[in-house]
Amino acid sequence: MVEQSADIPAAGDSARDASVLAAAHIVRAVGVRKTYWRGEHAVHALAGVDFSVRRGEYVSIMGPSGSGKSTLFNMIGGLDKPNAGQVFIDEVNIAALDNFELAWLRCHKIGYIFQTFNLIPVASALDNVMLPMLFAGMPQADAQDKAAELLKKVGLGHRILHKPTQMSGGQQQRIACARALANDPTIILADEPTGNLDAKTGRDIIELIRRLNREEGVTIISATHDHKMLAVSDRIAWIRDGLVARIQNREEIQIEEGKIGADH
Amino acid sequence: MSEMQRQVKLPMRKAIKIAWRNIRVRWWRSMLVTSGIILALAFLTYVLCSDAIARGVQSGAPQRLLEQLRKSGALGAAAENSSATTWWMVGLALLIAFVGILNAMLMSVTERFAEIGTMKCLGALDSFIIKLFLLESTFQGIAGTVIGIVVGVLLAVIEGLARYTFASARYIPGLEILRFVGICLLIGVLLTIAGALYPAWRAARMQPVDAMRSEV
Repeated sequence: MVEQSADIPAAGDSARDASVLAAAHIVRAVGVRKTYWRGEHAVHALAGVDFSVRRGEYVSIMGPSGSGKSTLFNMIGGLDKPNAGQVFIDEVNIAALDNFELAWLRCHKIGYIFQTFNLIPVASALDNVMLPMLFAGMPQADAQDKAAELLKKVGLGHRILHKPTQMSGGQQQRIACARALANDPTIILADEPTGNLDAKTGRDIIELIRRLNREEGVTIISATHDHKMLAVSDRIAWIRDGLVARIQNREEIQIEEGKIGADH
Repeated sequence: MSEMQRQVKLPMRKAIKIAWRNIRVRWWRSMLVTSGIILALAFLTYVLCSDAIARGVQSGAPQRLLEQLRKSGALGAAAENSSATTWWMVGLALLIAFVGILNAMLMSVTERFAEIGTMKCLGALDSFIIKLFLLESTFQGIAGTVIGIVVGVLLAVIEGLARYTFASARYIPGLEILRFVGICLLIGVLLTIAGALYPAWRAARMQPVDAMRSEV
């Protein structure tokens, strides 16, 4: 299924179109297929997906497990390469990148937030946030200042030297948010960021991510089952059987949300 | 639009810092591995050096001293060190140390799957991951080897002096012992690097996607 979007010119001057596309879309998946082999048995995780994410947008990807949701999510995040079709991140075809370029892309363009936080338990919050900056080659002192600044931004300015193991789940996810912002990425990829948190803490994290989305202008792509998370999305892509089954826009989401609210 | 660049290599200093932190966290396990290396290398060094001392005394000492040693029975026993059995045991000790390193490093890689995957998501290069694990192993290897060599040389010298009396101290072949120390150092370090190569390679081969999976 092809996504229809008003700001994409259908045909015309291809060079100009390309630049318009690039300006509007931070991620483009074109005819993406991915097949896994389980012995003799082929599993078509993605069966030709076309999907684009606009710059600065907050997109949620939904779908039951086994729908290909995670596979699509990983492709968009530069973590996996398609068997056929192309994925463009900031207009760069990720299949054409070598390991050094991919590492650079992950380091500079993408910030990751995981369900299980994935912090380094033995390192302080500050060291955790500094790690991507050190990978980027930033001098230690600059990295330290910036990490402290980011931790302050996520509300942990008073605990920068504490280790993740001394903190609650919500605080750990805040560190992860700060770490995701370390190299001023254009995209933040959040994989079930509220999956391991209670409702209240989850709401706080969603608010934080939404705030970062608005204030920093960073594009948020999340895979989630959390309805609170869906409610703040600009768009929701529903994945089923390796295809984009439906795309919901902000207005529809709000209407549905209202309906849910009225029902209860 | 967007300019793609190549990821920079991290300076060695940073890798060393992180590797050292990883050892500190698994301190007792590291100590266990290190003690295996200490024992193996101490044994190897001891056998080589006590052999060298026996040969040194036999070829260097004056007849009068040799006669005296022969009478007390010290010289007759000198050859037993280099018997085949001893070398089998040395080989076994080295093998055990090697397997110990291999095992400990594999364990350390397996329990850190998510951490390695996360680091790759954050921009770590394969070479950095390899460096990290090789460094961790090399720290333990060098520490174990140096301590083992010191223990081995001391034991050989003390035993030599006890057996051949202090009069023979000046016939201890210092240069040859130094040469064996060098060889043992090389063997110890190569052993640890060899033991860490496969685990490090496995760690580097991990895909960043694996960091996303909470259950391994």
